[in-house]
Amino acid sequence: MIFGVRHSVVVATLLATLGAVVLAVLTWKGSQVTSESFLVTTYIGLFLGALWAMYATGLVVVYTTTGVFNFAQGAIGVFSAFLYWELHVNRGWHSILALFVVVCLFAPALGVTLDAVIMRRLRTASLVVQLMVTVAIMVLLLSVVGDIWEADTPRRVPYLFGINNGIDLGPSQLPWHRLIVFVVAIAIAVSMRFLLRRTRIGTAMRAVVDNRELAALNGARPNVVSSTSWALGSMLGALGGILIAPELGLDPATLNNVVIIAFAAAAFGALRNLPMAVIGAMLIGLLRAHTGAWLDFGPDFRFAHLAVAPLILLFVVVALPQARLEVGRLAHHLRRHERYTKWWEGLIGCGVVILLAVAFSGGWLDFGIWDPGAWGSRELNSANEAMALALIGLSLVPLIGWAGQINFAPLAFAGFGAFVYLKFAGDSGNGYWILLVGLLCAPLGALVALPAARLRGLYLALMTMAFAQAMSLIFFPHPWVMPIIGTGRQFPHIELFGVTFDDRRGFFLLMVCVFAIFVYGLVLLRRSRYGRRWMAINDSQAAAATLGVPVVWTKVVVYAVSASMAGIAGVFWATVSGNVDSVQGFDLLIGFNIVLLVAAAGVSIPMAGIFLIFIPLFKGFGLRLEDAGNVDFLVTLLDIMTTYGPGLMVLGMVFNPRGAIFEMGRGFSPILPWRRDARAEIAAENAQKREPEIGELGIDRPFTPEEVIAIDRRLGILDEVVPKEGYGTARS
Amino acid sequence: MSVETETPLLELVGIRAGYGTIDVLHGVDLRVMPGQVYALLGPNGAGKTTTLGVASGQIQPHAGSVLLDGHEVNGVSPDRLARAGVCLIPEGRGIFPNLTVAENLRMSTYAGVSYKQVQERAFAQFPRLEERRNQMAGTLSGGEQQMLAMSRALSTDPAILMLDELSMGLAPIIVEELYEQVSSLAEAGLSILIVEQFAQAVLGVANEAAIMLHGRIQRTGSPEEIAEELTAAYLGMT
Repeated sequence: MIFGVRHSVVVATLLATLGAVVLAVLTWKGSQVTSESFLVTTYIGLFLGALWAMYATGLVVVYTTTGVFNFAQGAIGVFSAFLYWELHVNRGWHSILALFVVVCLFAPALGVTLDAVIMRRLRTASLVVQLMVTVAIMVLLLSVVGDIWEADTPRRVPYLFGINNGIDLGPSQLPWHRLIVFVVAIAIAVSMRFLLRRTRIGTAMRAVVDNRELAALNGARPNVVSSTSWALGSMLGALGGILIAPELGLDPATLNNVVIIAFAAAAFGALRNLPMAVIGAMLIGLLRAHTGAWLDFGPDFRFAHLAVAPLILLFVVVALPQARLEVGRLAHHLRRHERYTKWWEGLIGCGVVILLAVAFSGGWLDFGIWDPGAWGSRELNSANEAMALALIGLSLVPLIGWAGQINFAPLAFAGFGAFVYLKFAGDSGNGYWILLVGLLCAPLGALVALPAARLRGLYLALMTMAFAQAMSLIFFPHPWVMPIIGTGRQFPHIELFGVTFDDRRGFFLLMVCVFAIFVYGLVLLRRSRYGRRWMAINDSQAAAATLGVPVVWTKVVVYAVSASMAGIAGVFWATVSGNVDSVQGFDLLIGFNIVLLVAAAGVSIPMAGIFLIFIPLFKGFGLRLEDAGNVDFLVTLLDIMTTYGPGLMVLGMVFNPRGAIFEMGRGFSPILPWRRDARAEIAAENAQKREPEIGELGIDRPFTPEEVIAIDRRLGILDEVVPKEGYGTARS
Repeated sequence: MSVETETPLLELVGIRAGYGTIDVLHGVDLRVMPGQVYALLGPNGAGKTTTLGVASGQIQPHAGSVLLDGHEVNGVSPDRLARAGVCLIPEGRGIFPNLTVAENLRMSTYAGVSYKQVQERAFAQFPRLEERRNQMAGTLSGGEQQMLAMSRALSTDPAILMLDELSMGLAPIIVEELYEQVSSLAEAGLSILIVEQFAQAVLGVANEAAIMLHGRIQRTGSPEEIAEELTAAYLGMT
């Protein structure tokens, strides 16, 4: 311990500072630093920091008062900013009125609705479900924004009080807008701190997270309190969105990405400490402004200055000691029986999948309008995209589904796989190199696993998100890593066993085969010692360790397996597009969508991967239908399903946390002639539903009318006697 | 005692309640008179905690009624009952672990007693809490946590106090200390309903006792009478 700080923190901070200094020296622009330019940069940095502090305040407030880390905080800001634009700019309302309506009416209403409909049901859900649901809300809100306010019109949110009026600071001017933002941000942080620490309602908000029942015994109304928390959180998000929109422009993705910076700031305060979160936001703002002003990373690293926030998030999450996060949350364990898939069952299942795919793509099955035999390249492309996504999704099954390691970076691994393949197979497209891709991606996975080994739950999610963001801002855009669009460089067609898979149909079948191999591999893995170990560390790391399971090594292995699967999938994902847009192809949002869909399908079951094919497949069907004409309704329906499907499906997890595939499997498996166990379970469940508990009848007390009816029902006596006076109770 | 002429402070009549489809209470009748200390004893799983849950509004009974000072309060939410003076200290440390001691005390201001007064009363009774007022409650020792939980009973002027397994997992000397507080509250005229698995401590304080088994009250009587039958009841011989 040095000054009460752990050694690891000191060492990590020193290393990070050293790295930053070396980087700064290497990339120094050479422009002269005057006190004037330094001052201006500092003031820009503080202003940026204030904007992010506002978002971070919202996150911290929601987290401390609801126990839910809200990934949708940024999206609430995006929606509010667009609504403000609609009211103020498009409809010409006065800015104050529009601001009031959005921040004080719409935002609290949204918060209360979210709480009443969704969040209240999530209290006892597992962390994976909680995270997925807030991510789903984020994706849904962004889709709604994209649907209502189409991207083709340019929009601007004006500065409050204009950008040209302000205080003269000598060398430059400080516009009112920025001054107000700064003051408001600080005022909000201070007042929120006061609210949470010094008032009864604020204390009650935090108390409800700790122990809902006890809070009620203390005279607090838990539902009202948590609705207040959500209303407050979404007001903060709305205000942040409206104030930041004039600076960044009204673009959903850009505005939403601000939330990652806010995550980094919030992580500075261990997600609970408001002053530290504000300081973190200011620090990031200053770093961002000064790196932008004095450093030049060159054209090859053209997005690197944006990576300040994810890198800081990565650093903070890995280096800083964590506060306790989960308050004795008991994950719902709903599955009563766990049954390994037998090796031959897996084989049959995979065989059926391949046969279906062959029949389907060969056009041997007559689907009428759906006939893929008549598919053009667009539709086949959709199907191919679907299969590639399904392959990436499969890589999450052992990692998230079994070992419980949340991972938002499947596309970072996939992109790395694509990169390795491009480097080795080059223009030849020799498919055997794919095996090498699998081998080389494993160490990358292991590398990520090492910091992940000491992280749990939420911090793990944040770390993988930061990792994905850093990869897509620094690594993938480098021209040496991936061809930039417009350079004409393409991913080669894969060649295997002397066959070049240059036609889309053949490539589709190749991917189906890989999918089947992956699924079968997972079935075998689940039955293996590692499968059991992964499940064990998911349930309890401490218990697993006492049983002699090497926890760190087990995690390293699962990350390596997942990364190499994702890497191989990445080769296909890149090849489908042929011409990979390095930045967008491996974007975080697509990664979110993959994780969401797999989670909604039931991430612990390999076949869940198949769910990912639906969205692009629907897109393909939609195109096909449009060509056929006269089915507008269906086209719209398919359109809605592709846009909102993933998010809505995840919201379904609120009610059915096991996932859709699980339910389908339960419905399907009793049909299989050898699954006597499945039939027995269904029968037992039905029997339980039919017979209410009767208790100790007539032994030491008289029958009540309800019990008479219950006995009649059990004995099959149909003419039930219902007393006219209603059912009496024991009251005398 | 003139039970017939006085209105009981708390009365449960024919309460049947449970969790989901499983019934735990199969018709419980119980009355606590003003100023009475009522000890409800019984082994694990007898339904004692469920009884308190029903009395405090946390669990809705399937049948029967809960009467508070003669008024039926079925279906009234626990927070309203708390503000009306029903004070339940739940089993296993009724504190908020992630709030400081002072913030825990601030949560006790619901009954109209000011924050300052709440603190004064709590610290007067348990000086150790004052030393730790800015410490996270979850980091206190077991005894200190139970003191913090008990301080709510002292500071909110409840109409009826319900204590669930006050002695659970605590050193005997601390149990003794806590029961001293209980008896001084009783001497001041507060009605108290105490649930305990281990009887010694509570029978010294109580003036009415009952044995609960399998979701029913098997026997009521003076603490002395109940003490005699307790062993037999625990061994399942009633």
